[in-house]
Amino acid sequence: MTSLAASLEARVWAALAEIDDPEMPVNLVDLGLIYGLEVGEGTVRLRLTFTAMGCPASDMIVGDIRERLLAEPGIGDVVIDVVWDPPWSAARLTPDGRQALQAWGLAV
Amino acid sequence: MEPANSGTFEALLKRGELIESTSEMSPDYLRELKHTLIVSGDTELISAPAYYLAAKKAPSVNAFMTGIAIIQDELAHAHIAFHILEELGESQEALIFRRDPKAFRYPYAFDVPLESWTELVVANAMYDQAGFCLLGDIHEQCSYGPWKRGLVKVMAEENFHLRNGRNWSKRISQAGGAAKDELQRAVDWMFPLTVEWFGLPDNLKQHSAQLDYRLKGLTNDQLRQQWLSTVVPFMESIGIQVPAHKENSHYVLDYPFPCTFDAEQKRWDFKDSCTWEDVLARWRARGPRNAEMVALFQESFSKFQVRA
Repeated sequence: MTSLAASLEARVWAALAEIDDPEMPVNLVDLGLIYGLEVGEGTVRLRLTFTAMGCPASDMIVGDIRERLLAEPGIGDVVIDVVWDPPWSAARLTPDGRQALQAWGLAV
Repeated sequence: MEPANSGTFEALLKRGELIESTSEMSPDYLRELKHTLIVSGDTELISAPAYYLAAKKAPSVNAFMTGIAIIQDELAHAHIAFHILEELGESQEALIFRRDPKAFRYPYAFDVPLESWTELVVANAMYDQAGFCLLGDIHEQCSYGPWKRGLVKVMAEENFHLRNGRNWSKRISQAGGAAKDELQRAVDWMFPLTVEWFGLPDNLKQHSAQLDYRLKGLTNDQLRQQWLSTVVPFMESIGIQVPAHKENSHYVLDYPFPCTFDAEQKRWDFKDSCTWEDVLARWRARGPRNAEMVALFQESFSKFQVRA
């Protein structure tokens, strides 16, 4: 990976960490919804899951990701693959995510 | 040192301490607390059938799921209020399932049917914003500890409803044409109904026991201004007109307040001002769908009653 691509990838992760889940006070990265991403020539392709298949906020989350990443210089296209394997569980939370949800009153 | 009477109820209130049990309350405080909880619980409860009738018109499966999740939240919020009422000696069963529809104390707006996805998302953007202002104030100021603490999650969830309302309103406005016209029509009748939601203007409401008892912290007009200060700029930002504008630091309505509303036609007559007595009479008589809305959650109760 070129250093340019590496810095873009770091910026994408940082941008994703700015997006809060619409229902809970935790960002998408700490919640463990992003399974991976690839950056190419102005394009980001990311694998995204939701905490439940019936997630009522799925449209909002996809919209928020698209809007935030397209605002990042050097990104002209965002492709989001929604994946269910492996299924999301609380084990996907980062330590910060776990702390945020516990502080909010969720037993995770 | 605290004065000798610092243990009295009034002294507790004055010191800004939280009231935790009925044994600490004066009878007047208990009555006013119950009344405030009933208005809040009724409002959350009735929003479920009102939103459900419109959520059925969702334009996609995802949108329908969002609508249903919002309804589930509203029922959970109602449950908080009715659960506390039960602890204060009221019967949830009697309050929810055995009350006459006309005895419910929710805002008149919910008696006017939401009949489309557009009207539902405008309700999310405006009615839920009203709920957010009212409950946010209670969450910050309420002197009754169990209710204040129960509202922590409610605020986060109401925020989700607001986002649904705002995202979709923006999307519909951007679509333009007939979709935007429908959005404007919805705002035209729902905006003044939500302005009315906050009740009598302060100059006509001489005394508020709710404020004396710190059940809430802001007056009707302060809450109305708070609501206007979020809804007016938002609607203007998406190209939707609202009959209010900002003058110096506060918002001014561009129509007589109060004025006459034709509930069947969902139309305000801004040329026909009326008195607050007229409005109170309209509220007391309830609106066109009051019985139908209440029946949606009452009708099957007796049928499935299982007696031990």
